[in-house]
Amino acid sequence: METKIVSKNFDIPNAHTIEVALKNTRYESIHNLIFLKPQTVIDMIKASGLRGKGGGGAPSGAKWQLASDYIGEKYLVVNGDESEPGTFKDRQIIAKDPHLLIEGIIVTCFAIGAKNAYVYVRGEYEEFSNILQLAIDEAYAKNFLGNGAIIPIDITIHRGAGAYICGEKSALLESLEGNRGHPRLKPKKPEPEFYFGNPTLVNNVETIASVPFIVLHGAEAYRAYGTKDSAGTLLFAISGHVNSAGVYEVPFGTSMIEYIEKLGGGIKNGKKLKAVIPGGASTPILPAHLVKEAKLDYESLKALGSSLGTGGMIVMDEDTSMVKALKNLLRFYHHESCGQCTPCREGTSWVDKTMDKFINKSATHEDLQILKGSSKSMNGQTICVFAPAVSGVIDGFLKHFEDEFLECIV
Amino acid sequence: MKIMIDETQIECKEGELLIDVMLNNNISIPHFCYHQDLGADGNCRMCMVEIKGEKRPQVACDTLVKENLEVFTKSKNINNVKRSILELELLSHPVDCPICDQAGECKLQDYYMDYGLYESHLTTPKTHKGKHIDLGSHVMLDQERCVLCTRCIRFTSNITKTHELGIIGRGDNAKVGIAPNKPLSNPYAMNVVELCPVGALTSKDFRFKQRVWFLDSAKSICHGCSRGCNIFIDYNETKYTTEKIHRFRSRRNNEINQSFLCDYGRLSYKELNEKYEGKISDVQDLKKLLKVEKKVALVSPSLSLEQLKSVQNFTQKHKIALFSLPYLDENFGDDWLKTNERSANFKGVQELFINTLQKEFEEAFKNAELIINFDHQLLKNKPLVQFTSTQNVNQENLVFAIANFAHESGTLINCDEIRQRFEASKYKSQVPRLVELLEQLS
Amino acid sequence: MSFTQANIIKIASLMHRYPQKKALVLPLLWLAQKQEGFISDEFINTIAELTHMPYMHIYSVASFYTMFKLQKSDKKTIEVCRTLSCELNGSEAIKKYLVENYSKNYEIVAVECMGACGGSPMCTIEGKYMENVTIEMLDEVLHGN
Repeated sequence: METKIVSKNFDIPNAHTIEVALKNTRYESIHNLIFLKPQTVIDMIKASGLRGKGGGGAPSGAKWQLASDYIGEKYLVVNGDESEPGTFKDRQIIAKDPHLLIEGIIVTCFAIGAKNAYVYVRGEYEEFSNILQLAIDEAYAKNFLGNGAIIPIDITIHRGAGAYICGEKSALLESLEGNRGHPRLKPKKPEPEFYFGNPTLVNNVETIASVPFIVLHGAEAYRAYGTKDSAGTLLFAISGHVNSAGVYEVPFGTSMIEYIEKLGGGIKNGKKLKAVIPGGASTPILPAHLVKEAKLDYESLKALGSSLGTGGMIVMDEDTSMVKALKNLLRFYHHESCGQCTPCREGTSWVDKTMDKFINKSATHEDLQILKGSSKSMNGQTICVFAPAVSGVIDGFLKHFEDEFLECIV
Repeated sequence: MKIMIDETQIECKEGELLIDVMLNNNISIPHFCYHQDLGADGNCRMCMVEIKGEKRPQVACDTLVKENLEVFTKSKNINNVKRSILELELLSHPVDCPICDQAGECKLQDYYMDYGLYESHLTTPKTHKGKHIDLGSHVMLDQERCVLCTRCIRFTSNITKTHELGIIGRGDNAKVGIAPNKPLSNPYAMNVVELCPVGALTSKDFRFKQRVWFLDSAKSICHGCSRGCNIFIDYNETKYTTEKIHRFRSRRNNEINQSFLCDYGRLSYKELNEKYEGKISDVQDLKKLLKVEKKVALVSPSLSLEQLKSVQNFTQKHKIALFSLPYLDENFGDDWLKTNERSANFKGVQELFINTLQKEFEEAFKNAELIINFDHQLLKNKPLVQFTSTQNVNQENLVFAIANFAHESGTLINCDEIRQRFEASKYKSQVPRLVELLEQLS
Repeated sequence: MSFTQANIIKIASLMHRYPQKKALVLPLLWLAQKQEGFISDEFINTIAELTHMPYMHIYSVASFYTMFKLQKSDKKTIEVCRTLSCELNGSEAIKKYLVENYSKNYEIVAVECMGACGGSPMCTIEGKYMENVTIEMLDEVLHGN
């Protein structure tokens, strides 16, 4: 069931060292670049159907093209902020196979014409970014990076410092420029991102780590996995009430329930499944009966009223209080709102405080209306998608588990 | 180029911001963070409009106009959007309007009346933040009233570049503030009070003094230097007091001061509340004095063109040598609004060819049998005939009290040769206007 | 207060990795915190000078990110994740146990998701991850502290 493309070397002892990495195909795709034009690589990525693996799922090739076409000094920024609750896949790449990421960065920089790459790693991942730093140092020593390399680029690790919103690409760029992590106003037409005004490509760690396979084996080999609209594989993660929480790479289109049972080891203590948050905390919850229908791809989850997000599943058993679970998430969003836009700054605080009344079983029907109203007041009115995602989360819980909330009303 | 706003055709230029087009055409568009002289930030989300062809409401401060754009500002849907944002904005607001100085000119109040009018749904505790924080430079902060529009921060970052203010913290705990022991301190600091659309920043000089709805405003010009910043003089007359001026506010003029004033100019209103309270001489006594041969007059370069002309006519008729000298102060000017020439109309003096040569004046002064001072600062406290608008003169001379510029209307020419009118307040001055006095003399 | 010689060398090599000095704000805040245990007023000044940014900018940025400490703490820190996967697997009990038994020598803080949901419940002791935490594990590691 597991299909190890990105995670191929995860179980090889010491795969994070360059000696072991080199014995296990790392840096091989760079030799292919000698015979390729940058545009050919971009076309390969387009043809592979690779989509952003950080949660948004935007076609990667199109993003690369935008950055490549824009005139100016190019930059590559690798998003390793990984702060979506339920998501812990990028750290596996960073800690277990950092040379894969470095290889992907080299190929991507070649394709878009960048000389500098930054890996933005969340501040909490200090141990893991230290491993990556050692790998980068090794790569410099072996002339894969720096002035003496075939593709002379520099990679710099930039540590975050505890702000969920910095996973949003424009907030990340603000942070990388030395600012507070406030998302930027969205452009009205397609354009690359900008780092200090320079055209920049921002891609997730896993997206970049998927690139060497495509360059080595071709777009078709990648497309052979997954579905028509969701090509390839993803490092799906599973946590919560399961026996074998962890990260397992499977092709898009895999059955969710099968994944939970076979790879996640089924529900802990022989309990029944109640619900799954499919792709990180910000994706709407699915009750057990929908989990059974769900396939792990963009289309299927969208059709079920949720989304694939980061592919980090949080599994809840039959004893889980949905009121408590929603309170937990809304406390998270309240804590993490950057505070820039009014609807988000005030709205996340309001819904979180309102949840306290449900927890205390002192809520009123009006309080329920406040939660329901958030889908209007917080959705579609802010600079970034943080607040709309929160309203989607609330809607999901109320759509499928309203009875539990009604029980908390006096 | 033409666009449609609420089915009315509006002329505008390619590349203009929609919110500017609306503001310039007096189309009501609620907003907190946008300011025509600070630019767009996009954080308050209040200026939402519907645009034909767009799925979602858009903020007018981040929309560039383009040919045939169709904008709707009044639909039920968009009003609901504005209402919900306003409700969120007001959630943790203390609603202490009865003790808030902003009441009456508060955007939260205005928009609540326009778009809100809901019953409070709040059933959970409000978020509490700091109150009556003295930021320095006569500015007080109430963080609970703040809507985090960041106008004040953008003013100190982008305009004065003094960077005293910033956002501290994150999420609903984010607040505007100064860093510990680093007070607000720049010669334009009090602009933040006026820029604040709500009652978060108030002036220590003005607060608790007057309700703004009891104030009248006169369109005037600051006389503090030759920049000629456009102001409103806010004043009133109560049952027990004669007219009193309570503050100057900036009056937007894109060519001169945009929406800003320096603190010196802003606080210079206080001088207008000073009055000469000594003995006032008889006009007939001056007429007698005019019979001597060598007569010199010095006129203030802060008088209006009309006043200067009247003085000029008077001095010509009575064969009085007329001079004016500038108010130069090398320590006053800066590279923005403040100028070293601290009179309001020195260019006007020059236009009328009034003699401004210091040496010639000193020569004439030495030999003069009669010296008349028309409100010039140099000769206050000298034994002369004084026409004064302030208390500060030696009473042994002939003294004629005259109305100050709050009671005058007239024309000034600023340092950049821009000719501007200013208007008088509506209450009559208790002392005569200079022009009236001179008419009596002739 | 200024950076140690070793840190100055680090800063010098970082400088030409970025197109503008301003980008060094976060890296320098980290170095300062590593060196002194918190970000002091003097360090904010030093960083402001090095990056050519106003003091307020550095202060405001530092206050945005929860990992930057603007106050000195004498105690070591244990952070217990309280977000959903950890809560589902018993983080509340872990936190309670820590507060009851180790508050004297440690500052016990509840934090949001640390990206270790697969090893929930989890905590960090002085920044180091500890996953699938049990009371026994905590006693073993913290014993004698």
